[in-house]
Amino acid sequence: MTTMIQTNRVVNCEGLACPMPVVKTKKAMEEIQSGEVLEVRATDKGSVADLQSWANRTGHQYIGLREENGVFRHFLRKASEQETKCETTYPHVVRNDELVEKLASGGKINVLDVREPAEYSFARIPGAVSIPIGELEERLGQLKQDQEYYVVCRTGTRSDMACQWLAERGFSKVKNVVPGMSGWQGATERDE
Amino acid sequence: MANKRVAIIASSAGLETAYKVLNIATAAAAMDAEVGIFFTFEGLSIIHKNSENMLQLKPENAGLAEGFQKANVPAIGQLLEIAKESGVRMIACQMTVDVMGLTKDDFIDGIELGGAAAFLDFSFDAQVTLNF
Repeated sequence: MTTMIQTNRVVNCEGLACPMPVVKTKKAMEEIQSGEVLEVRATDKGSVADLQSWANRTGHQYIGLREENGVFRHFLRKASEQETKCETTYPHVVRNDELVEKLASGGKINVLDVREPAEYSFARIPGAVSIPIGELEERLGQLKQDQEYYVVCRTGTRSDMACQWLAERGFSKVKNVVPGMSGWQGATERDE
Repeated sequence: MANKRVAIIASSAGLETAYKVLNIATAAAAMDAEVGIFFTFEGLSIIHKNSENMLQLKPENAGLAEGFQKANVPAIGQLLEIAKESGVRMIACQMTVDVMGLTKDDFIDGIELGGAAAFLDFSFDAQVTLNF
């Protein structure tokens, strides 16, 4: 059975040998928008090392790999310059280690994960709720203004934008978790 | 991340050489590197219009033909197209072209003719140089 992971585009490289998976990934990445997620399906065993190296070199995010019935499903997210600059402006921030402590002390903590579903699927803070930043507006009804929310993404940039946006809509107790999942040392869970 | 440069000399005969050269070249281009290949002596067969017939496996590698098919390795023509599309510079060595009595018309479209200095000018700024 194949696991459903929401992506913006799928590139089929099944049956193709090196260097085609890398070549096709490059081409597809040029055609999607920054922040969007690409799935590359390959049977070439070399693609496991190759696509991670490729992402590392080109600056895109390698989210994760799933192997299903001899097919390697690679998930990659197109980088945006804005994120790598890592500018945050929302004043209420909580460091990763502070959130780890709060989670350990028990009690109800609302963690809101604004990354893409594929990123959330591979590693998230246990109990975190997923609302990708692009869906925040339409799913605002799922959140309550008077609740405290710890908003997290990968590097603190998307969560910063989400915090500002929520604060403008009357959410007074939202906090940006910095740096976010890129430096997360606490427990994680993932889709099986 | 950009501004990586890969300079390759292709000087040997055979299908094996063609794959070594073009796989590295197209993968490097996919990693946003500038790539230049200098084709000289027997390596010129890779960009010859008749390359399909000229590029053969070495006799001792004849047994690999089946493996190439099974692994669905892309055809040389396909790799050349990818190389051109991704901006790989292909330079045919003018001197060897002259020595072999060939002209630019004997080669596929999109190649340049140049001498050693033209290729060296490109290579001086390369982080990776390879000779096949």
